[in-house]
Amino acid sequence: MAAVKETVDQVGALEAYKHGFITDIAQDFAPKGLSEATVRFISAKKEEPEWMLQWRLEAFERWLALEEPDWAKVSFPKIDYQDAYYYAAPSQKEGPKSLDEVDPELLATYAKLGIPLKEQEVLAGVEGASRYAVDAVFDSVSVVTTFKKELAAVGVIFCPISEAIREHPELVRKYLGSVVPVSDNYFACLNSAVFSDGSFVYVPPGVKCPMELSTYFRINAAESGQFERTLIIVDKGAQVSYLEGCTAPMRDENQLHAAVVELVALEDATIKYSTVQNWYPGDPVTGKGGIYNFVTKRADCRGDRSKVSWTQVETGSAITWKYPSCVLRGEGSSGEFYSIAITNGHQQADTGTKMIHLGANTKSRIISKGISAGKSSNTYRGLVSAHPKAKGARNFTQCDSLLIGKDCAAHTVPYIEARNGQAVFEHEATTTRLSEDQLFYAMQRGLNQEEAVALLVNGFVRDVLQTLPMEFAVEAQKLVAISLEGSVG
Amino acid sequence: MSLSTALKTGDVTLLPSRRDENWRWTDLRALIRDLPAGADAETVGYDGPFAALGGQERVWVNGHAGGDSQITVEAGDRVAVGFRFISTRPSGNASRVSVRVRPGGRLVLLESYEAAADGAIAAVDLDIEVQDGGRMERIVLAADQAQSITVSIAEVTLGAAAAYAQTLLTTGARRQRLETRVAHPGADASVRLDGAYLLADQRHADLTTIVTHGGVDGATSQLTKGVVRDQARGVFQGRIVVEPGADRTDARMGHHALILSDRAEVDAKPELLIFADDVQCAHGNTIGALDKEAIFYAMQRGMSVDQARAMLTTAFVGEVIDRIEDDGAREIARGWASRQLEGAGD
Repeated sequence: MAAVKETVDQVGALEAYKHGFITDIAQDFAPKGLSEATVRFISAKKEEPEWMLQWRLEAFERWLALEEPDWAKVSFPKIDYQDAYYYAAPSQKEGPKSLDEVDPELLATYAKLGIPLKEQEVLAGVEGASRYAVDAVFDSVSVVTTFKKELAAVGVIFCPISEAIREHPELVRKYLGSVVPVSDNYFACLNSAVFSDGSFVYVPPGVKCPMELSTYFRINAAESGQFERTLIIVDKGAQVSYLEGCTAPMRDENQLHAAVVELVALEDATIKYSTVQNWYPGDPVTGKGGIYNFVTKRADCRGDRSKVSWTQVETGSAITWKYPSCVLRGEGSSGEFYSIAITNGHQQADTGTKMIHLGANTKSRIISKGISAGKSSNTYRGLVSAHPKAKGARNFTQCDSLLIGKDCAAHTVPYIEARNGQAVFEHEATTTRLSEDQLFYAMQRGLNQEEAVALLVNGFVRDVLQTLPMEFAVEAQKLVAISLEGSVG
Repeated sequence: MSLSTALKTGDVTLLPSRRDENWRWTDLRALIRDLPAGADAETVGYDGPFAALGGQERVWVNGHAGGDSQITVEAGDRVAVGFRFISTRPSGNASRVSVRVRPGGRLVLLESYEAAADGAIAAVDLDIEVQDGGRMERIVLAADQAQSITVSIAEVTLGAAAAYAQTLLTTGARRQRLETRVAHPGADASVRLDGAYLLADQRHADLTTIVTHGGVDGATSQLTKGVVRDQARGVFQGRIVVEPGADRTDARMGHHALILSDRAEVDAKPELLIFADDVQCAHGNTIGALDKEAIFYAMQRGMSVDQARAMLTTAFVGEVIDRIEDDGAREIARGWASRQLEGAGD
């Protein structure tokens, strides 16, 4: 109940979007617009080897030939890809040797966001509290990665991907683009050409990563896009839990975020990937501004008995276009997708997952909770497919949508393709509004309407919240309440 | 973009292909290279599946109407009519028919598709209107040849407090699509859309429905079941749209399929598009094999494995047939389905 109390307190105390501040910081930009020169500029800035530059240029060439997809249930004015900065980085002559050299403004930003970048602070924390290593990405670059040494002692590599390209080219060359091919889709292709930073994780065979790894993404600069790339490789029998958080300032123009996340799970490996996405959703009344969140996330369960679990709490962004997927290739591999997507104001979300069963006895589970309020639109779009060789494949899908208010919309668009007689797929979906009886009951017990809504919605999404790591679960619960602020009455 | 326009113009580029989202599992463009010419009307000397029920009958042979292409049920009348769409030649043909049920009228439509010639391509468009307080039940048996192609599209418009019920039973064809689009006004009108596809060999059947709830107090109930074996492919696409303001809509959709062989396929897309908040909408979808425990149980009681499978399969489809309201049509449909399922236990 303590967490519920906290939620209720938060609702009362917080303004609509608390991460909407702008940090005034000296920044380097690439020239505006997108051309081969931009791609070369980014590659040169990152001091990348020739093979990487060639990879990017190839992606850029393919991107020019692709068309922007329009099948999602989202509508937005055409994006002018030449009217944005593709690289923005906090000015710094050289990479910081220690936190003392990092711009204090920047540290203050992360402090405001409540993200611990100072290891000693974390270490000095409450005894028994779980520690987690952080990679902080500010606009286009990673500013700091904590706990690197401790992780290195057990062989775990956790660093910005730009560093991995230089230090571990054999791993990057082998796996980059192997899960999400360069020309997989329009936005992934764009990312492949211009990605600037992101996180890289490698967990060696048999190692259980000793702490949670996390990345915090922050878009700060105006008129810039953020294109991060995350690559996580978990070797045989290893395990990792990875968290991702995102915020951005409140601005009147729309900003593009097109990330690619690739996960590779080898034999008996386990990856848990959790996201709390809280990009600026735009003005709740006018719908002006906000982030366009066009993200490609995919996991390849390459090894037998490997396991990948995606958990996402999507509360931000003006437009979300995101389908974290699992390719279940290894025999007996399993994929999970737990999602809470909340839209309010003028937000539009088209999100879901793909579970592609290729190997025998593969299993997947999808639990999706969508909540629409205000004038928003929330779509679950998912695919579950079983290849003829996926004998014994099993899937269970549950999609529930909750509607709060007259002007919102909730859609469920599942695709189910079963191509063999030994696959068992179950899918159920419901769409309802918040029960008036329950609201009445809660209000009769002394809660005001907003508190009652927060309580009921938190109950509605509990199945998913439970799968989040502790620190995120608390944060997510608060977010649920904040996101729905002003949706009733 | 439709088969009937393509047939009329002879232009294959007008055929829907899998690039069209609504036709992704029923690609006609890749299948049909040339559109065959039409054929003359002929006399058909055999009875349709509903002949035993008697009553009036309209027959379209190779796209030629054997009478009026329009039927109106006057206020207060109770009518049962048979529609037979027959292709006797490997020809291309398009038929169009309109049905009107006036306020308080009652119609039982017994419709059959009988492609007697392999290679026939038939497009049938039905325009159905059930006015205020009218009732209509449509029962369709589609028994096409293995190499024929059929697309039947019914546009249904309902008045206040109208009741529309439909059961489609099909054994598929080379490609077959039976589509129903219902403009549902809410207003205490009720819709039941059922179907079953029983497919073997390399047959394909696509049952597509779109129900648009435009007003308050509407109810829709849907149940579709499928049994596929060999290399057959069953497709179900169900879409329920609840427009802004269509409050107190109650819509349920179920699709359940059995895959009885390793190479058969079932594709399903049960969609809910909801723009109003005071609604109850749900869909369920299951795809799998026969329950091994149920087979074991039946065998333990003395049945052979084939008998047990046949019994379970028949019972599975029976749930759809039981919902047919017209007694005569229900028993004909039951007999027809069990004949199609013979051998499903092998």
